[in-house]
Amino acid sequence: MRKFALTAVLVFLGGGAFLPGLAGDASASISLEKCTLCHGKPEFRKLLVNGQIRDLFVTGDSLAGSVHGKKGCTDCHFDVSEIPHREHPKRVTCTHCHFKGNHEGAPQSDNVLAYFDSAHGTAIARGNTKAPLCQDCHGSHTILKAKDPGSRVARGKVAETCGRCHMEVYAQFKGSIHGAALAKGIAEVPSCTGCHGEHKIYARNDPKSTIYSTHVSEQCSKCHASIKIMGKFGIETEQVATYKESFHGVANQFGSRTVANCSSCHGVHDIRPPADPLSMVNPKNVPKTCGKCHPGANPNFAIGKIHVDAKKKESGIIYWTATFFKWLTIGTMLALIVHIFLDMYGRTRRLRGER
Amino acid sequence: MAEDDRKDATRDAVGREIESAMNGQVSGLPPEQAEALREKIRLRVREEIERDLRARTASDRKDAAHLAKEARKKEKHGEEGETFIRFNRNFRFQHMVMFSSVILLIITGMPLKFPNFILSRFVINFWGGIQYSTIVHRIGAAMLIYFMIHHFLYTILTRDGRRDFWLLLPKLEDAKDIVHNIRHFLGKLPDKPRFGRFSYIEKFDYWAVYWGCIIMIGSGLFLWFETDVLRFLPKYALDVAHEMHSDEAMLATLAIVIWHFYNVHFNPDRFPGTLLWWHGRMSEHEMKEEHPLELEEIVARRAKESAEVSNG
Repeated sequence: MRKFALTAVLVFLGGGAFLPGLAGDASASISLEKCTLCHGKPEFRKLLVNGQIRDLFVTGDSLAGSVHGKKGCTDCHFDVSEIPHREHPKRVTCTHCHFKGNHEGAPQSDNVLAYFDSAHGTAIARGNTKAPLCQDCHGSHTILKAKDPGSRVARGKVAETCGRCHMEVYAQFKGSIHGAALAKGIAEVPSCTGCHGEHKIYARNDPKSTIYSTHVSEQCSKCHASIKIMGKFGIETEQVATYKESFHGVANQFGSRTVANCSSCHGVHDIRPPADPLSMVNPKNVPKTCGKCHPGANPNFAIGKIHVDAKKKESGIIYWTATFFKWLTIGTMLALIVHIFLDMYGRTRRLRGER
Repeated sequence: MAEDDRKDATRDAVGREIESAMNGQVSGLPPEQAEALREKIRLRVREEIERDLRARTASDRKDAAHLAKEARKKEKHGEEGETFIRFNRNFRFQHMVMFSSVILLIITGMPLKFPNFILSRFVINFWGGIQYSTIVHRIGAAMLIYFMIHHFLYTILTRDGRRDFWLLLPKLEDAKDIVHNIRHFLGKLPDKPRFGRFSYIEKFDYWAVYWGCIIMIGSGLFLWFETDVLRFLPKYALDVAHEMHSDEAMLATLAIVIWHFYNVHFNPDRFPGTLLWWHGRMSEHEMKEEHPLELEEIVARRAKESAEVSNG
């Protein structure tokens, strides 16, 4: 009997050790010291199959300063239940805490759901191992708030983070006016996420995408129609309105996907100011740019303003044509309507028996 | 009965003529062969005559029915008098081609001028989206161009076309008529001006269509073949064409919907509309009201013709 009791106590204690979840808060079971026994050695690293070296060096300071500063190793690596762990720990699942309605005090948002619907999330779901998970962009141990300029997803740094996979696009972007301005530290300039969205990133031919062909002008106009933003850099805001009034803009609003949007002419990641000889809208390059849709385009395409506003006197002959037709219409219609009303007035008089 | 007798008489007369003609042809042949050939030809000729008579009586019957209808109408609306053909079939066809093309052009074009208007999206989507509504717009454009060519040829090649063209040219009389008409509206003059075949209102409509067609077709072709145009002209020429196309469309639409519809359909004499564009006929009463000088001319011409007939 006594033997049995002893066994029961031992089993209970043993179970407590192996099942930290059951044992309540004592579960902060595996302490930092135990992990750093191995991981704390700077030379602790692993040679991967493809020849890359994976650094496994982690110290007690790794999480310090990050948003997870108060967390322990097994809060995220919760599949590690014995030291040394026999199996390779699985990738950290952020959704363990980060979902709407969690009790961990993690930020309450649906960004996780947005991510799983996005191009990256669906790629993961289809089994693409190269597609990024949360930690590929946000970092693993050194996660900072996005507002923190040191964060990997901060406005100034996110392009570099995306560029780790999208290398060609990053190279193009760095040469563009937006990339150059970003390097100067201008706060208003868009980085990758400024146009593509943060978690709701979709492929460009997905109608949900912010950069779907019929959404591009809307996306650009968020900044380029704002006098407040554009005024700082001396850029005109009328380009948006003149585009929307042009045939390209109207057809685009009616859902045409073949008609030109902002990026068809100005470029996508390699947008440069018109004076730049590499710019797609530099007068020298206009024939080539227009020729993408209008085969046989020649330098005549560059003679005259593209974003032309007929209501402005600077538009010259176009303004005068518009003015001529405006007054012709007003004059003619006024005369015709006066004639109609006089006719009706005369008929009324005669009906009343007046002369 | 009388008709049958008439048919028989015609048939016999023609038969006798053929018989005599045949006798000359078969004189050299033996009698049986000659008789067989004669019989064959007689049968064939009789068939032809029958067919001809049938056709003639059908059209006669149609004419008679029409006359009867006219007579009934005359009995019912005696005051309208006889009817005159104001627009011939060719002219009505041109007008129908033109207005159907203009309707197509307006309903596919105006949404592009007013993309934010609530119905614009509906109208564009009705055709299946912008990529199809632009095709419909070009079909309308092709119809309008066809109308323009047809009308040029009509003006040059037909007698009615040439006559109408000369009558449509603006004259000093028209200016006087405008002043007269306005004074009449204001009650200063008791009578309307007496118009000929075309009043100044109709002349204005005609030349407005001329002006509109030239501007719209000209600038429209620029926009249709934009790359070919830009081969020879700078980009701002295309912008001017675009501005003209857009503004003249507005003017034309307003002029048609307000001015033309009031004068031909919605004014109290005609309300709720006239079918003149379909049948092309005008009653004597309307002629007296609206085109008294033309009516006088027709009456005078008839009197002259009948005098010539009775003299000759």
